[in-house]
Amino acid sequence: MLFQPMPVKKGRAKPPTYKIMTAKEAVEKYIHEDCYLGMTVSAAPAALIWEIVRQRDRIKTLDLVITSQIGMSSALIGAGLVRKIEMGYNWGGIEGEDKVFRRAVEKGIPRPLEVEDYSNFGAAMRWAAASMGLPFMPTKSQLGSDIIKYNPKIKVMDDPYTNQPIALVPASYPDVAVIHASRADEIGNVQCFGLYGNTDTLARSAKHVIVSVEEIITSAEIRRMPNLTTIPYYYVDAVVHAPFGAHWRESNYYYHHDLAFGLDAYRQFATREGFEEWAEKYILGTRDWNEYCQLVGYDRLYRLMQSEHKYQQFGEVR
Amino acid sequence: MSQYTRDYNMPELMAATAAREIQDGELAFIGVGMPLMAATVAKFSHAPNFNMMVEYGAMGPAPLRLPMCVDCAVNNERAYFAGSQREVMGAQQAGFVDVACISGAQIDKYGNLNSTAIGDYYAPKVRLAGSGGANDLASSAGRTIIMMRQDGRNFVNEVDYLTSPGHLSGPGAREKAGLVGSGPAAVITTMGVYRFDAETREMYLEKIHPGVDIENIKKAVQWDLAISPHLTETELPTEEQIMIMRTLDPLAVYLGTGRQTLAGDFEAFMAMFENSYHPMIKLMRSKGMM
Repeated sequence: MLFQPMPVKKGRAKPPTYKIMTAKEAVEKYIHEDCYLGMTVSAAPAALIWEIVRQRDRIKTLDLVITSQIGMSSALIGAGLVRKIEMGYNWGGIEGEDKVFRRAVEKGIPRPLEVEDYSNFGAAMRWAAASMGLPFMPTKSQLGSDIIKYNPKIKVMDDPYTNQPIALVPASYPDVAVIHASRADEIGNVQCFGLYGNTDTLARSAKHVIVSVEEIITSAEIRRMPNLTTIPYYYVDAVVHAPFGAHWRESNYYYHHDLAFGLDAYRQFATREGFEEWAEKYILGTRDWNEYCQLVGYDRLYRLMQSEHKYQQFGEVR
Repeated sequence: MSQYTRDYNMPELMAATAAREIQDGELAFIGVGMPLMAATVAKFSHAPNFNMMVEYGAMGPAPLRLPMCVDCAVNNERAYFAGSQREVMGAQQAGFVDVACISGAQIDKYGNLNSTAIGDYYAPKVRLAGSGGANDLASSAGRTIIMMRQDGRNFVNEVDYLTSPGHLSGPGAREKAGLVGSGPAAVITTMGVYRFDAETREMYLEKIHPGVDIENIKKAVQWDLAISPHLTETELPTEEQIMIMRTLDPLAVYLGTGRQTLAGDFEAFMAMFENSYHPMIKLMRSKGMM
């Protein structure tokens, strides 16, 4: 007998400690060369993505995993950071055709981009699997399509219980997830107002999670409505205070989508030079998110907020 | 009954036609753009008990303004549900959705769609958006309505990349592949309306849009197109249908040139909301929805 206690494994939980830092600090600390980066929409993590672009000389290369993205992945692709993208959808939505994405895939400008296609739900199920510590998830999507033909990672098998064909997608564990949400306390309990897409499963899948929020609130306020907590603190590494942090896209109940800005951006993304001028002005030409907001104009941002509040505020019933 | 009108453009005709495909009481899965207009028209006219799901996690919104995207804050506005994508897409996979609207850049005679790449997938002539939710809806929704432009080259013998399954290779193919939904029921294009034969699962022309020459349709389809012996002209939009669309989308962002005029013009964008706020309240109240 050794009479020594058996070795035990420690859980993966992040501690309930003070996690507020600037976007610059969070990106410097967690995002490095060859990082496998996860992000989603609802809401768009613009403040964090802009900071990644500012640090592109250090970061150099990223592999992206998304479900859908509009704009954010294009900023990274246009900046020459992205080597590969695993995706369900990457385009401009209402802003239209994504020429940044097209140039990268079709012509290798500014660098060749490898694409691994899934359906949206197929891509989302990879995080559903990872969020529960499972190696894969079965789905009824993608069967019979070329998505499976051209993506060897998706396997089709007969379900051992019903003998019906089923598609399996592998779990995706990003090195880092960048997320924008409504509000959080200083230890990283994150609450989302309204729809939040697959923010929940993404946060649960990543090794490190950086969340930017519209508001920092007290833990007492979190405890008043715990059912709004989409991401509990034990998943979160860093909390960044970034009011208007999803502009030009929207943040539920905070401010409206700035379509005039988005359409204008996509118009400039039509050429490589146009994209670079735009990125030079709005991303590289600003030191931080506050400077970006000043450049866009806080009066404009507050009008987008007023416009949203004219239609809806969280908890209000008309 | 509202009167028919000839004061419409092609996207408005397509949206009005798609609206008629939606039945009262149905649960639909709707993206933005033309399908959203069709859904709004249906909700405010013949299908008040119809509700829509939106891909990034909303169900039953009743907004007073134009949604900008499937992950948009507008989709929370006076909705029955707002939350995760897993809820709506999971329910969709589990068979709760009656009808979904999808699109693509290419289509074949079985309604298989391509929205991924034109040309070789590994070296595409044109890289497109990718599946998005289209493949998921094409797989599992009760039925799909396809809305797309017909440009003379995109009704092809074989799609370059099969993103969203239609009837695959014909009768029995969907079942064999394990797909749970019944696949495409209608294709609404800039030229006409197509359906699928119950036996062969092949597309046939059912309706032809006013002013479109049938010879031009035949030329725009690469295969030998079957034509219904009961071919009719597409029903015109009603005045009410057009009024609903133009109240929600006064600058024709989805159904016209609004996107060009709004690019970079923040004041015009803000004015669009201001100007449609009271007309939308009036419309909602007139329908007893507010």
